[in-house]
Amino acid sequence: MYASLVSNRYLTSRLIPVIAVAAVALCVALVITVVSVMSGFLDMLKASGRSIVGDVIVSSGIGGMPYSDELLAELRALPEVAGATPLIDTIGLLRMPYPAGPQKETAHVQVWAIDPASLTGVTDFAEDLYWRAPKDAATADALAPDDPRRSLDPAILEDGKRLVQSSTNTPGIALGMHVSVGNARQRDGSYLPRYGWFMPGLEVTLTVVPVSGKGKIAEPREQIFPVVNEVQTGLFEIDRNRVYIPLAEGQRLLRLDEAPLYDLTADPDASGNYPVIGRTPARVTKLLLRAKPGCSADALRDRVQATYDAFADRIEADRLRTASMPRFVQVLTWEQQLRDLIIPVEKEREMMRVLFSLIYLVCAGLILSIFWAIVVEKTRDIGILRSVGASRTGVMWIFLRYGLIIGTLGSALGVVLAWGIVTNVNPIHEAIGSDAPLAIRITAWGLASACAVGLCVTALRRKFLPTLLWTLGTIVLSAAALGLTLHHGTLIWDPSIYYFTLVPDKVDWWAAGTTAVGGVLFSVIGSAIPAAKAADIDPVEALRYG
Amino acid sequence: MAEQPLLQACRVHKTYRFGAHGVEVLRGVDLAVHSGEWLAVLGSSGSGKSTLMHLLGGLDRPDAGKGEIRFRGEPLSLQPGSALDTYRNRDIGFVFQFYHLLPELSVLENTLLPALVFGARAKRRTALRRDAEALLGAFGLDHRLTHRPSQLSGGERQRVAIARALINRPAVLLADEPTGNLDATTGAGILDLLAERHKQGLTIVMVTHDREVAARATRQVHLTNGTSDSAAAQ
Repeated sequence: MYASLVSNRYLTSRLIPVIAVAAVALCVALVITVVSVMSGFLDMLKASGRSIVGDVIVSSGIGGMPYSDELLAELRALPEVAGATPLIDTIGLLRMPYPAGPQKETAHVQVWAIDPASLTGVTDFAEDLYWRAPKDAATADALAPDDPRRSLDPAILEDGKRLVQSSTNTPGIALGMHVSVGNARQRDGSYLPRYGWFMPGLEVTLTVVPVSGKGKIAEPREQIFPVVNEVQTGLFEIDRNRVYIPLAEGQRLLRLDEAPLYDLTADPDASGNYPVIGRTPARVTKLLLRAKPGCSADALRDRVQATYDAFADRIEADRLRTASMPRFVQVLTWEQQLRDLIIPVEKEREMMRVLFSLIYLVCAGLILSIFWAIVVEKTRDIGILRSVGASRTGVMWIFLRYGLIIGTLGSALGVVLAWGIVTNVNPIHEAIGSDAPLAIRITAWGLASACAVGLCVTALRRKFLPTLLWTLGTIVLSAAALGLTLHHGTLIWDPSIYYFTLVPDKVDWWAAGTTAVGGVLFSVIGSAIPAAKAADIDPVEALRYG
Repeated sequence: MAEQPLLQACRVHKTYRFGAHGVEVLRGVDLAVHSGEWLAVLGSSGSGKSTLMHLLGGLDRPDAGKGEIRFRGEPLSLQPGSALDTYRNRDIGFVFQFYHLLPELSVLENTLLPALVFGARAKRRTALRRDAEALLGAFGLDHRLTHRPSQLSGGERQRVAIARALINRPAVLLADEPTGNLDATTGAGILDLLAERHKQGLTIVMVTHDREVAARATRQVHLTNGTSDSAAAQ
């Protein structure tokens, strides 16, 4: 009872606890803000990753998997599967239409030959198509005057979804948003054509190299495709490298389409051809699958692996089949597939968490030094309390309780502060990236001038401490006012450079909870040493010399 | 058979250590305080008066094996620290020369402090508050209940300190130079207040260097060079 009375009075009648609470609040807010933003980026990365490859990926070697239609039919029949799609994943060279003149730039690209309709059921391919005509006049008016979307043909979206140029009925290609140098990303995350190269409608030449199942390289094959749209997944590595063509075109170019099967043991006919004894089925190199809600990627992976093995055994046993399934395929979840992207970010987040958690030690050290000073100052009070019968543990509890209250208040305030910062991080960021409003600049200069007046008054009265405080106030506010006047906007997170257009603005409540508990714990630890010192103070000495 | 002293110092020695050196302040002090007595311990500065007071009040212990303090015949030196805490809280009330009030607490809260240390239950708190208000009212401080010590005069502060010392109805009041920091008139007022309480049966041990102040007590003991020498009762 007396401990709460005394510690509450110490808390409310002095300025120093306010400083301690503010220090704890700042430490806690800093950790929560950093971890929340990092977790947000990781979540965004994972969400993007899953939307790009689905939940489970089945990958074969370069020879591909035959009978993919039958296999997909079995996989789609599984209760865990929401969608499945075949594709060919290979590399190629893309001759761009720029610059003007005979010499053109060539980019190396990752080629995905896809079935757009079924891919849309597994990934966000259709949503990721960037170029689309505005829904209405109001949407169009909101766009920048030079934004090409203002005057786009509405068919561009459908062309992208089908990978067909509808005006010519030609198979088309969709480029990753950063494959072409012609797309300049703006601060709001939108794109404007650069150097006059707006890619949709232009033609590019794709060159791929067919490779046999035995690893033999055949003659490179090339095809001209009109660009029907561009794709923005949000992952720069993918948007910079990947292009999408129709599956049938990919199979044909890579010689993975259905073909006659010749009997090479028989004698050729007069024109040198061997007799045809059947047909080899078309092949794909990957299958992407989307799990139904409630089914984990891991569970789906195991089910797909079992289904594939059973399917491969059946094909193997069927003597009428002209091809066999590859025995060794990789069945991976999307997290396993994208681990090269996800793991570094996870490691960065954990490293940031550890590094920023060191701030707890600063917090504990700060509390320790403040409390040490309080205990020294309150030595006589401790003697008085002992003289009226307070025990050593009672005296210790006064200061531990004091630390507990400061830690709890500071942590609670820190959580609120972090919540305020994180949920408003984008407006704050936007404000930092813009000129300071005139009213704020005038206010800052006004406050600096007021401090200067205070400085002059106290200097004339020859008071050292007020003069020093007014001097510091004048310097700090003048520097702030000057900074605001000279500041013309600095974007820390420039969407024209980074993957994501917005800074994550969701508080990681688990991190907030653990950080707040840590703040309380380290405040109590910081107060424990002065509290123990207080308990050990000799009451006679305290009363005599305190 | 003689009456057992309420509080007793038996051949008490006390040495303060300063590194390798020791200063023996008390050298075999004998003292017996009987119930209802007002005893003045007289001595010059440095004679060990305050040290004796701290030992009697259980704030300190005599040198090991060199004398003991007895309360109601029980040796305090054999008691653990927690028992001494209880002894200081319930059986003893301290009044100091410099008042020693907690500056952050109000007059009422300072007065209630020993009762709160006692661990008063919630039901008792209202009654305690009434007791404290009555005590402060009797000392002429009923208009100062919510004031801080810094807002009081020296005499008022000492009256609050006496009220604090009396709140748990102790058996003995130990007053260390209670008028030492006050002018003569205010000091006389404080002594009147103690005399009134003494009349009501309170046992008082008062340490002072002032013979006039000591004259208000019923018996005097002189402390010289760390030893005691009883004087005649007044």
